[in-house]
Amino acid sequence: MRTLRSAVSWFMPVVPESRIAVLRTVLYLFVIIDIHLFVRDPIPLSRNPELYQPLMIERLFHLLPPSVPLTITLYLILVIGCLVAAANVWPRLAGGVVAAAFTWWTAIGMSYGKVDHDHLALVVALWVMPTVGVIADRWRSTERSAQAGWALKCIQISVIFTYFLSALTKIRSGGWSITSWPDSSILMWAIVRRPHGLGQFLLPYPELLHVMQWCSFTAELTAVVVLWLRGRALLAAAIFWMGFHAFTLAILYIHFAPTAICWLAFAPLERLGPWLRRVKARRWERTGWRPARHPVPVLRDQAVDRGSHRPS
Amino acid sequence: MSRASYAWRIAASLLGIGLLLNGSLRMSDDVWPVGPLSQYAFSPAKDATIVITRVEGLLADGRRIDLPLRVETAGISRAEIEARIPQITADPSLLRSVASRWTSRHRDEPAMLRVWLVQDQISLVDGRVGRTRLAELATWELPS
Repeated sequence: MRTLRSAVSWFMPVVPESRIAVLRTVLYLFVIIDIHLFVRDPIPLSRNPELYQPLMIERLFHLLPPSVPLTITLYLILVIGCLVAAANVWPRLAGGVVAAAFTWWTAIGMSYGKVDHDHLALVVALWVMPTVGVIADRWRSTERSAQAGWALKCIQISVIFTYFLSALTKIRSGGWSITSWPDSSILMWAIVRRPHGLGQFLLPYPELLHVMQWCSFTAELTAVVVLWLRGRALLAAAIFWMGFHAFTLAILYIHFAPTAICWLAFAPLERLGPWLRRVKARRWERTGWRPARHPVPVLRDQAVDRGSHRPS
Repeated sequence: MSRASYAWRIAASLLGIGLLLNGSLRMSDDVWPVGPLSQYAFSPAKDATIVITRVEGLLADGRRIDLPLRVETAGISRAEIEARIPQITADPSLLRSVASRWTSRHRDEPAMLRVWLVQDQISLVDGRVGRTRLAELATWELPS
């Protein structure tokens, strides 16, 4: 019974709801960026119906084959839905619509032969954030709940699994061997095919590339540990993985922005609201502009003043 | 919070983790978003051949040019063309959209007569970059 209870409280810790309120704003605005920069091809791809190969999810739900009117509609729904949901307005309705529309939009982007793997955490985040429901006071909320804790935990698990499962897939594709991927010429292959970044300067050093493969593979395989880290150790892990993404961006021109942004699910976002208010208050103090200091004529005050000074 | 509300959340997380593990250990990209995280997950050998797939076009003035495979210019990306190589070699007219996108963006250029699906084949020799060879996979004559 005790293990069951501790498992439940691990999956659903009680955390400040303002974390979700802030995360909603950031992630829904990020989706708008995403559909313009990352999964930006569904509209042009939908002009090539002969190349469309529906994924299982599209066959399962009998989704309409993509056409230009369909993808433009999805685009408009996403932009409007994200703006509403980012404001923490109608979180269940707007969030649910965005989750469904973005999943469909991204699935279309993956239905022309190439499937990317950087959207797992973001797609999960979009599906779980609406389940927290209305957060009164939004960023200023002082409520804590297990609903918010569960949503954050799901996003955290998805972020970490993006790394851990990619290590499992590498073991699987190498014929269930631990060494085949880190010992292979994969980085050489990747750099030759994408000779844009700093990677081309590493081409003469295949040994160095092997060391880098071993480091990243070990980090991915052990990433699950991060789910149990706290405080400084967690911060160190977050900095390490941000560095990892910056590194792959520099070497290979591959960004994992949708995964990287979901690292915010580990952050104490509830401090952002009060911090912003302090910054604002300090700025008022510095500029000397403070609404309360100005003598503002208030009707009732005057009446009291007059009354008290009137000679009897 | 009610017991049911705890129960469905725990069940959903376990189901999600199960689907993800199943996807990575047994399934293919077809089951996205719970498929294997297979980007760069394979293991090229030290003597592997690295291929870069491109589309080239022959213009009426005799120039043979590279048609960049980006979504903005060709309506389709290189990876998507690569995934469709068998279909394109069986039916080279599938290159039509790449060619017509290019001509519609370059109206002042001479007409395009022919397009090729080609590959730069770069061989690795003991893990280092060796020689490059150009292979033609498919040709399509544009209807004049």
